[in-house]
Amino acid sequence: MAFCKMVDVIYAALPIRPLRAFLIRSHMESCSRCQARLLSRAEAGKLFVASDQIGNTEGLWQRISVRTGSGTPVPEAPPTPAGAGWRWAAAVGTAAVVAVTGFWLLREVEKPGFGPGFVGAADRFQIDYVNVGGAPAQTFVYQPQGTDTVFVWATKNP
Amino acid sequence: MEKGKKPFMNEKEIIDGCLRGSPVSSRAMVDAYGNLVMAVALNVVGNRQDAEDVCQETFLQVFRHLARYDRSRSFKTWLLTIVYRRSLDMIRKKRRFSEFSVRARFEPAVAERGGNPHPADPKPLPSALLGRLSPRERTALCLWANEGYTARDISEVLACSASTARVYLFTARRKIKTLLENDHGLLQNG
Repeated sequence: MAFCKMVDVIYAALPIRPLRAFLIRSHMESCSRCQARLLSRAEAGKLFVASDQIGNTEGLWQRISVRTGSGTPVPEAPPTPAGAGWRWAAAVGTAAVVAVTGFWLLREVEKPGFGPGFVGAADRFQIDYVNVGGAPAQTFVYQPQGTDTVFVWATKNP
Repeated sequence: MEKGKKPFMNEKEIIDGCLRGSPVSSRAMVDAYGNLVMAVALNVVGNRQDAEDVCQETFLQVFRHLARYDRSRSFKTWLLTIVYRRSLDMIRKKRRFSEFSVRARFEPAVAERGGNPHPADPKPLPSALLGRLSPRERTALCLWANEGYTARDISEVLACSASTARVYLFTARRKIKTLLENDHGLLQNG
Protein backbone atom coordinates (compact mmCIF):
# COMPACT_ATOMS: atom_id res chain seq x y z
CA MET A 1 0.00 0.00 0.00
CA ALA A 2 2.77 2.40 1.01
CA PHE A 3 4.70 1.44 -2.12
CA CYS A 4 1.65 2.18 -4.28
CA LYS A 5 1.36 5.61 -2.68
CA MET A 6 5.04 6.27 -3.26
CA VAL A 7 4.69 5.26 -6.93
CA ASP A 8 1.65 7.54 -7.18
CA VAL A 9 3.58 10.47 -5.72
CA ILE A 10 6.49 9.93 -8.11
CA TYR A 11 4.06 9.57 -11.02
CA ALA A 12 2.30 12.82 -10.15
CA ALA A 13 5.42 14.79 -9.28
CA LEU A 14 7.52 13.92 -12.32
CA PRO A 15 5.64 14.37 -15.58
CA ILE A 16 8.33 12.63 -17.63
CA ARG A 17 6.73 10.22 -20.09
CA PRO A 18 9.45 7.53 -20.15
CA LEU A 19 9.51 7.49 -16.35
CA ARG A 20 5.73 7.32 -16.19
CA ALA A 21 5.70 4.51 -18.74
CA PHE A 22 8.29 2.67 -16.65
CA LEU A 23 6.19 3.07 -13.47
CA ILE A 24 3.09 1.85 -15.30
CA ARG A 25 4.89 -1.14 -16.80
CA SER A 26 6.89 -2.10 -13.74
CA HIS A 27 4.24 -1.63 -11.07
CA MET A 28 0.84 -0.21 -11.93
CA GLU A 29 -0.02 -2.77 -14.62
CA SER A 30 0.66 -5.68 -12.32
CA CYS A 31 -0.57 -4.27 -9.00
CA SER A 32 -4.17 -5.19 -8.18
CA ARG A 33 -4.62 -2.13 -5.94
CA CYS A 34 -3.50 0.24 -8.68
CA GLN A 35 -5.60 -1.60 -11.26
CA ALA A 36 -8.69 -1.20 -9.06
CA ARG A 37 -8.28 2.56 -9.42
CA LEU A 38 -8.36 2.40 -13.21
CA LEU A 39 -11.30 2.20 -15.56
CA SER A 40 -11.87 -1.37 -16.69
CA ARG A 41 -12.32 -2.30 -20.35
CA ALA A 42 -16.00 -3.08 -19.72
CA GLU A 43 -16.60 0.29 -18.04
CA ALA A 44 -14.80 2.10 -20.85
CA GLY A 45 -16.79 0.18 -23.45
CA LYS A 46 -20.02 1.63 -22.06
CA LEU A 47 -18.81 5.18 -22.69
CA PHE A 48 -18.03 4.70 -26.37
CA VAL A 49 -20.16 4.10 -29.40
CA ALA A 50 -19.39 0.63 -30.74
CA SER A 51 -19.24 -0.10 -34.46
CA ASP A 52 -22.30 -2.38 -34.26
CA GLN A 53 -24.35 0.57 -32.97
CA ILE A 54 -23.74 2.66 -36.07
CA GLY A 55 -26.20 1.04 -38.43
CA ASN A 56 -26.37 1.26 -42.19
CA THR A 57 -23.47 2.66 -44.22
CA GLU A 58 -25.58 3.19 -47.35
CA GLY A 59 -25.66 6.97 -46.91
CA LEU A 60 -21.92 7.06 -46.43
CA TRP A 61 -21.31 5.09 -49.62
CA GLN A 62 -23.62 7.40 -51.58
CA ARG A 63 -21.70 10.45 -50.44
CA ILE A 64 -18.39 8.83 -51.28
CA SER A 65 -19.53 7.52 -54.66
CA VAL A 66 -20.69 11.01 -55.65
CA ARG A 67 -17.14 12.22 -55.20
CA THR A 68 -15.33 9.22 -56.61
CA GLY A 69 -17.68 8.26 -59.44
CA SER A 70 -18.37 11.70 -60.89
CA GLY A 71 -15.34 11.53 -63.12
CA THR A 72 -13.75 14.54 -61.48
CA PRO A 73 -10.48 13.81 -59.78
CA VAL A 74 -10.54 13.77 -56.00
CA PRO A 75 -8.72 16.89 -54.83
CA GLU A 76 -5.45 16.27 -53.07
CA ALA A 77 -5.72 17.17 -49.40
CA PRO A 78 -3.20 15.19 -47.39
CA PRO A 79 -3.94 15.22 -43.67
CA THR A 80 -1.74 17.38 -41.52
CA PRO A 81 0.50 15.22 -39.34
CA ALA A 82 -0.50 15.40 -35.69
CA GLY A 83 1.09 18.40 -33.96
CA ALA A 84 2.82 19.65 -37.11
CA GLY A 85 1.71 23.23 -36.54
CA TRP A 86 3.01 23.27 -32.99
CA ARG A 87 6.28 21.66 -34.05
CA TRP A 88 6.82 24.34 -36.68
CA ALA A 89 5.92 27.11 -34.24
CA ALA A 90 8.29 25.69 -31.62
CA ALA A 91 11.10 25.34 -34.17
CA VAL A 92 10.64 28.90 -35.47
CA GLY A 93 10.43 30.25 -31.90
CA THR A 94 13.60 28.43 -30.84
CA ALA A 95 15.46 29.61 -33.94
CA ALA A 96 14.39 33.21 -33.24
CA VAL A 97 15.53 33.03 -29.60
CA VAL A 98 18.90 31.52 -30.63
CA ALA A 99 19.39 34.18 -33.32
CA VAL A 100 18.53 37.08 -31.00
CA THR A 101 20.71 35.70 -28.18
CA GLY A 102 23.62 35.09 -30.57
CA PHE A 103 23.35 38.57 -32.04
CA TRP A 104 23.25 40.14 -28.59
CA LEU A 105 26.22 38.08 -27.34
CA LEU A 106 28.30 38.99 -30.40
CA ARG A 107 27.51 42.64 -29.92
CA GLU A 108 28.47 42.47 -26.25
CA VAL A 109 31.72 40.59 -26.91
CA GLU A 110 32.80 43.17 -29.47
CA LYS A 111 32.37 46.04 -27.03
CA PRO A 112 35.62 47.43 -25.54
CA GLY A 113 36.28 46.34 -21.98
CA PHE A 114 34.24 43.10 -22.27
CA GLY A 115 35.31 40.43 -19.83
CA PRO A 116 36.33 40.19 -16.20
CA GLY A 117 38.28 43.44 -16.28
CA PHE A 118 35.26 45.34 -17.49
CA VAL A 119 34.79 47.02 -14.10
CA GLY A 120 37.19 49.97 -14.32
CA ALA A 121 40.30 49.92 -12.19
CA ALA A 122 39.30 53.29 -10.80
CA ASP A 123 36.04 51.79 -9.56
CA ARG A 124 37.94 49.12 -7.67
CA PHE A 125 40.61 51.54 -6.42
CA GLN A 126 39.97 53.01 -3.01
CA ILE A 127 41.90 55.63 -1.04
CA ASP A 128 40.88 56.32 2.50
CA TYR A 129 43.19 59.29 2.98
CA VAL A 130 46.50 60.71 1.73
CA ASN A 131 48.72 62.80 3.91
CA VAL A 132 51.38 65.10 2.47
CA GLY A 133 53.79 66.61 4.99
CA GLY A 134 51.66 65.27 7.85
CA ALA A 135 48.53 67.04 6.67
CA PRO A 136 45.59 65.65 4.60
CA ALA A 137 46.24 66.25 0.90
CA GLN A 138 43.99 66.98 -2.03
CA THR A 139 43.87 63.74 -4.09
CA PHE A 140 42.86 63.04 -7.70
CA VAL A 141 42.45 59.54 -9.18
CA TYR A 142 42.70 59.35 -12.97
CA GLN A 143 42.30 56.33 -15.27
CA PRO A 144 42.95 56.72 -19.02
CA GLN A 145 40.06 55.30 -21.06
CA GLY A 146 40.48 51.67 -22.17
CA THR A 147 43.41 50.92 -19.81
CA ASP A 148 43.79 49.41 -16.36
CA THR A 149 46.37 52.04 -15.34
CA VAL A 150 45.43 54.31 -12.48
CA PHE A 151 47.21 57.55 -11.70
CA VAL A 152 46.95 59.06 -8.23
CA TRP A 153 47.78 62.75 -7.95
CA ALA A 154 48.11 64.21 -4.50
CA THR A 155 48.82 67.86 -3.72
CA LYS A 156 49.27 69.64 -0.47
CA ASN A 157 46.17 71.48 0.55
CA PRO A 158 46.64 75.19 0.05
CA MET B 1 -13.74 -7.96 -41.36
CA GLU B 2 -16.46 -6.96 -39.02
CA LYS B 3 -18.56 -9.42 -37.16
CA GLY B 4 -22.17 -9.68 -38.25
CA LYS B 5 -21.41 -8.83 -41.89
CA LYS B 6 -21.41 -11.28 -44.75
CA PRO B 7 -18.27 -10.43 -46.68
CA PHE B 8 -18.40 -11.19 -50.36
CA MET B 9 -14.69 -10.52 -50.65
CA ASN B 10 -11.88 -10.93 -48.23
CA GLU B 11 -9.59 -8.07 -47.25
CA LYS B 12 -6.96 -8.90 -49.87
CA GLU B 13 -9.53 -9.04 -52.66
CA ILE B 14 -11.04 -5.74 -51.56
CA ILE B 15 -7.65 -4.03 -51.52
CA ASP B 16 -6.63 -5.50 -54.88
CA GLY B 17 -9.96 -4.44 -56.37
CA CYS B 18 -9.65 -0.90 -54.99
CA LEU B 19 -6.15 -0.67 -56.43
CA ARG B 20 -7.58 -1.55 -59.83
CA GLY B 21 -10.22 1.16 -59.31
CA SER B 22 -13.15 -1.21 -59.08
CA PRO B 23 -16.28 0.51 -57.70
CA VAL B 24 -17.53 -2.87 -56.43
CA SER B 25 -14.43 -3.24 -54.28
CA SER B 26 -14.71 0.35 -53.09
CA ARG B 27 -18.26 -0.33 -52.07
CA ALA B 28 -17.16 -3.55 -50.34
CA MET B 29 -14.54 -1.63 -48.42
CA VAL B 30 -17.05 0.95 -47.21
CA ASP B 31 -19.44 -1.86 -46.24
CA ALA B 32 -16.71 -3.75 -44.41
CA TYR B 33 -15.08 -0.88 -42.57
CA GLY B 34 -17.66 1.94 -42.64
CA ASN B 35 -19.07 1.18 -39.21
CA LEU B 36 -15.66 0.87 -37.62
CA VAL B 37 -14.47 4.15 -39.14
CA MET B 38 -17.70 5.89 -38.19
CA ALA B 39 -17.56 4.63 -34.60
CA VAL B 40 -13.96 5.74 -34.09
CA ALA B 41 -14.59 9.12 -35.73
CA LEU B 42 -17.71 9.65 -33.63
CA ASN B 43 -15.86 8.75 -30.45
CA VAL B 44 -13.01 11.12 -31.23
CA VAL B 45 -14.79 14.16 -32.72
CA GLY B 46 -17.93 13.82 -30.61
CA ASN B 47 -20.78 14.51 -33.00
CA ARG B 48 -22.39 12.65 -35.87
CA GLN B 49 -22.23 15.32 -38.55
CA ASP B 50 -18.50 15.87 -38.15
CA ALA B 51 -17.94 12.13 -37.84
CA GLU B 52 -19.68 11.60 -41.20
CA ASP B 53 -17.40 14.18 -42.80
CA VAL B 54 -14.38 12.50 -41.24
CA CYS B 55 -15.60 9.14 -42.53
CA GLN B 56 -16.03 10.42 -46.05
CA GLU B 57 -12.62 12.09 -46.09
CA THR B 58 -11.03 8.97 -44.64
CA PHE B 59 -12.32 6.69 -47.40
CA LEU B 60 -11.41 9.18 -50.10
CA GLN B 61 -7.93 9.31 -48.60
CA VAL B 62 -7.77 5.52 -48.51
CA PHE B 63 -8.80 5.16 -52.15
CA ARG B 64 -6.33 7.84 -53.19
CA HIS B 65 -3.33 6.48 -51.28
CA LEU B 66 -4.01 2.76 -51.11
CA ALA B 67 -0.86 2.08 -53.14
CA ARG B 68 1.17 3.41 -50.21
CA TYR B 69 -0.28 0.84 -47.82
CA ASP B 70 2.40 -1.57 -46.61
CA ARG B 71 0.85 -5.02 -46.84
CA SER B 72 3.07 -6.43 -44.14
CA ARG B 73 1.17 -4.33 -41.61
CA SER B 74 -2.42 -4.45 -40.46
CA PHE B 75 -4.82 -2.75 -42.87
CA LYS B 76 -7.20 -1.93 -40.03
CA THR B 77 -4.45 -0.10 -38.13
CA TRP B 78 -3.47 1.83 -41.27
CA LEU B 79 -7.11 2.77 -41.78
CA LEU B 80 -7.51 3.83 -38.16
CA THR B 81 -4.39 5.99 -38.43
CA ILE B 82 -6.08 7.90 -41.24
CA VAL B 83 -9.33 8.19 -39.27
CA TYR B 84 -7.43 9.53 -36.28
CA ARG B 85 -5.55 12.13 -38.34
CA ARG B 86 -8.68 13.23 -40.12
CA SER B 87 -10.48 13.49 -36.79
CA LEU B 88 -7.71 15.67 -35.40
CA ASP B 89 -7.94 17.86 -38.51
CA MET B 90 -11.68 18.18 -37.91
CA ILE B 91 -11.20 19.06 -34.24
CA ARG B 92 -8.63 21.72 -35.20
CA LYS B 93 -10.95 23.10 -37.87
CA LYS B 94 -13.85 23.26 -35.42
CA ARG B 95 -11.65 24.91 -32.82
CA ARG B 96 -10.55 27.57 -35.30
CA PHE B 97 -14.13 28.13 -36.39
CA SER B 98 -15.27 28.26 -32.79
CA GLU B 99 -12.65 30.93 -32.01
CA PHE B 100 -13.75 32.85 -35.09
CA SER B 101 -17.43 32.67 -34.14
CA VAL B 102 -16.69 33.93 -30.62
CA ARG B 103 -14.83 36.86 -32.19
CA ALA B 104 -17.59 37.41 -34.70
CA ARG B 105 -20.17 37.62 -31.93
CA PHE B 106 -18.27 40.53 -30.37
CA GLU B 107 -17.04 42.01 -33.62
CA PRO B 108 -19.98 41.89 -36.06
CA ALA B 109 -17.91 43.53 -38.77
CA VAL B 110 -15.77 40.40 -39.05
CA ALA B 111 -18.78 38.27 -39.91
CA GLU B 112 -20.17 40.80 -42.33
CA ARG B 113 -16.97 40.69 -44.36
CA GLY B 114 -17.74 37.18 -45.51
CA GLY B 115 -17.39 34.98 -42.44
CA ASN B 116 -20.10 32.55 -41.44
CA PRO B 117 -22.22 34.38 -38.86
CA HIS B 118 -23.60 31.18 -37.34
CA PRO B 119 -21.81 30.15 -34.18
CA ALA B 120 -20.20 26.74 -33.91
CA ASP B 121 -22.63 24.09 -32.84
CA PRO B 122 -20.77 21.93 -30.38
CA LYS B 123 -22.73 18.80 -29.73
CA PRO B 124 -22.06 16.56 -26.77
CA LEU B 125 -19.66 13.67 -27.02
CA PRO B 126 -21.12 10.18 -26.69
CA SER B 127 -20.54 10.66 -23.01
CA ALA B 128 -19.82 14.03 -21.42
CA LEU B 129 -17.02 12.34 -19.51
CA LEU B 130 -15.04 11.81 -22.69
CA GLY B 131 -14.91 15.56 -23.20
CA ARG B 132 -12.54 15.70 -20.24
CA LEU B 133 -9.92 13.76 -22.19
CA SER B 134 -7.61 15.07 -24.87
CA PRO B 135 -8.22 13.68 -28.39
CA ARG B 136 -5.16 11.45 -28.03
CA GLU B 137 -6.29 10.05 -24.70
CA ARG B 138 -9.81 9.58 -26.08
CA THR B 139 -8.52 7.73 -29.13
CA ALA B 140 -6.24 5.54 -27.03
CA LEU B 141 -9.07 4.64 -24.67
CA CYS B 142 -11.53 4.04 -27.52
CA LEU B 143 -9.17 1.70 -29.37
CA TRP B 144 -8.36 -0.14 -26.17
CA ALA B 145 -11.98 -0.50 -25.10
CA ASN B 146 -13.68 -1.13 -28.45
CA GLU B 147 -11.00 -2.77 -30.56
CA GLY B 148 -8.96 -4.50 -27.87
CA TYR B 149 -5.82 -2.69 -29.00
CA THR B 150 -2.63 -2.89 -26.93
CA ALA B 151 -0.35 0.08 -26.21
CA ARG B 152 1.84 -0.98 -29.15
CA ASP B 153 -1.12 -1.06 -31.57
CA ILE B 154 -2.33 2.29 -30.26
CA SER B 155 1.14 3.76 -30.73
CA GLU B 156 0.96 2.92 -34.45
CA VAL B 157 -2.32 4.78 -34.82
CA LEU B 158 -1.23 7.78 -32.76
CA ALA B 159 2.22 7.82 -34.39
CA CYS B 160 4.03 7.84 -31.06
CA SER B 161 6.11 5.41 -29.01
CA ALA B 162 4.49 2.52 -27.16
CA SER B 163 5.55 4.11 -23.87
CA THR B 164 3.76 7.32 -24.75
CA ALA B 165 0.65 5.41 -25.83
CA ARG B 166 0.76 3.52 -22.53
CA VAL B 167 0.84 6.81 -20.62
CA TYR B 168 -2.08 8.23 -22.67
CA LEU B 169 -4.13 5.12 -22.00
CA PHE B 170 -3.29 4.98 -18.32
CA THR B 171 -4.04 8.70 -17.85
CA ALA B 172 -7.37 8.33 -19.62
CA ARG B 173 -8.39 5.29 -17.57
CA ARG B 174 -7.44 6.97 -14.32
CA LYS B 175 -9.05 10.32 -15.18
CA ILE B 176 -12.39 8.77 -16.10
CA LYS B 177 -12.38 6.43 -13.11
CA THR B 178 -11.70 9.35 -10.77
CA LEU B 179 -14.44 11.41 -12.42
CA LEU B 180 -16.87 8.51 -12.13
CA GLU B 181 -16.06 8.08 -8.47
CA ASN B 182 -16.17 11.79 -7.65
CA ASP B 183 -19.08 12.80 -9.82
CA HIS B 184 -21.20 9.80 -10.55
CA GLY B 185 -24.07 11.95 -11.82
CA LEU B 186 -22.02 13.15 -14.78
CA LEU B 187 -22.34 9.84 -16.58
CA GLN B 188 -26.10 9.80 -16.15
CA ASN B 189 -26.44 13.41 -17.30
CA GLY B 190 -23.99 12.95 -20.16
